[in-house]
Amino acid sequence: MKLAVLGTGPGGYVAAIKAAQLGAQVTVIEETEVGGTCLNRGCIPTKSLAASSEMLAKLRQSEDFGIELKGEIIPNLSKIIERKNKVVDTQVKGIRYLLKSWGITLKEGRGVLQSPSEIRVTLKDGSKDIVTADKIIIATGSRPSQIAAFPFDGDRIISSNDAINLTDIPNSLLIVGAGVIGCEFACIFKELGSEVSIVEMLPRAVATEDMEISELLERELKKKKIKLYTNAKVEKVDVKDDGVHALLSDGKKIFAEKVLVSIGRAFNSDGIGLETIGINKGIRSEIIVNKKMETNVAGIYAIGDVIGGLLLAHVASKEGITAAKNAMGRDEKIDYTVVPAGIFTSPEIGSVGLREYQAVEKGIKVRTGHFQFRSLGKAHVVGEIAGFIKIVSDEASDRILGVHIIGPHASDIIHEAAIAIKKGMKTRDIAETIHAHPTLSEGLMEAAEDVHGEAIHVPKK
Amino acid sequence: MNPDDLKYHKEHTWVKVSGKKAIVGITDYAQNALGDIVYIDLPEVDMDFEINSEIGEIESTKATSSIIAPLSGRVIKVNEDLSESPEIINEDPYVRGWIAILEIDDISELDDLMDSSEYEKYVEEEAK
Repeated sequence: MKLAVLGTGPGGYVAAIKAAQLGAQVTVIEETEVGGTCLNRGCIPTKSLAASSEMLAKLRQSEDFGIELKGEIIPNLSKIIERKNKVVDTQVKGIRYLLKSWGITLKEGRGVLQSPSEIRVTLKDGSKDIVTADKIIIATGSRPSQIAAFPFDGDRIISSNDAINLTDIPNSLLIVGAGVIGCEFACIFKELGSEVSIVEMLPRAVATEDMEISELLERELKKKKIKLYTNAKVEKVDVKDDGVHALLSDGKKIFAEKVLVSIGRAFNSDGIGLETIGINKGIRSEIIVNKKMETNVAGIYAIGDVIGGLLLAHVASKEGITAAKNAMGRDEKIDYTVVPAGIFTSPEIGSVGLREYQAVEKGIKVRTGHFQFRSLGKAHVVGEIAGFIKIVSDEASDRILGVHIIGPHASDIIHEAAIAIKKGMKTRDIAETIHAHPTLSEGLMEAAEDVHGEAIHVPKK
Repeated sequence: MNPDDLKYHKEHTWVKVSGKKAIVGITDYAQNALGDIVYIDLPEVDMDFEINSEIGEIESTKATSSIIAPLSGRVIKVNEDLSESPEIINEDPYVRGWIAILEIDDISELDDLMDSSEYEKYVEEEAK
């Protein structure tokens, strides 16, 4: 079996390795860098920047911990970027090595489908090559969406791709879009010293999260003196020598050295030959697939951002594994009911399963439990007391429907909840499990107890 | 001790009235119960508040709690010093720790507030 994968992001390279493990002869085609958005322009670089800004925040709190620093604490963005590049390089090399170790051929160039069994590759040196395959997995990903009235110029109007490579800290930054990417960058640049404003069309920040998560994040942004304008639109921008003058829908004017547009992602489904072989696309240009990751053309699968689903690296990987298994003759369907996700703002967010509003929309009678991090000894020890853990459960069965965490290590703690939901567990199962002290995970046990009004470290209501 | 020239609301806020203006803060009992205050979400100037509604929030190392308007009115000034140093409320809840100045809507609402001795009794009852 010959299998080709178009794209080497966390969808594509995982699909390639899985197919190779199952015995396929695999070729992967990559136009830019191995590792895709996740490794080169997304998850890893932003978390590396976030790690530097967290270090800075910690240093600024050092006196609270009894450590006296002499001299100034100065963030040097070009060195922060250097470190980020090093982290990225190590990871990219790791993936190249993994591909090699599984005997996967890597073709570096742009691939365009010629037929359901042929991909024409324009290699980096300009030469052409044809890759033939019995099955093809498309994993071409996505890119930052831009606003037609003020497209990216890479200098004043920038995307997340540019923001991870700035070498000077902007005095002021206007972020358009208070989604995951916008809020993460807001926290990073604020800590580095920029004046940050965010403009969001929707009524709240991180609008796909539970309402209480948005509320607390908004307050934490306010504490950091990040200005958030919700229900607002940037009507117009004027790029001048000194910076960008923006006009909001309510008439307010904001001046910023740079504008970061983070309003969503556009799908990389153009110019790769989909029309030639008749692959169906949706209205957002996403490739349409079924639960087996099959497109409408036999033998062609699509995975990851380009199918317009959850746009998460770990979802792309799971889709890649599903596609690879199906391409190799298995019969697997993807299941999206339990997808944990992290947002690396400060404080961090971790969520899995139904938000309370989603459960209510489904007509489920819910019971919730809450626990504040400030009631945990460990939160005080690490000096991060803001935030809470919330459990949404089904009143009738006590089964856990969703867990929403904002606070220290939220994206790590969330996995206990993911397994519990995956296994159909009840809040009682978590409440009755001994949790080690002193840890942040104790909060999940207390939140589970709170569902029944039985949390020990919550005052009597 | 709670100053005699102030009026007290059952949600542990105080007002100091002069003419149509009222300075608002939280009581010594409230700051004590909250413990170390780490953040205050101040009301915005020009916003109108009804008596008994939330005009802001206070976060301490122990809890987050609402600041309840002891009177109806419009915010004409807030104590900006508190955004940088919310611990002033712990140190001096009745003078430097004032939170906002309201322009009073209805002076008769004052009649429903407690004086210092009534408030002291009220707090004793609550503590039981």
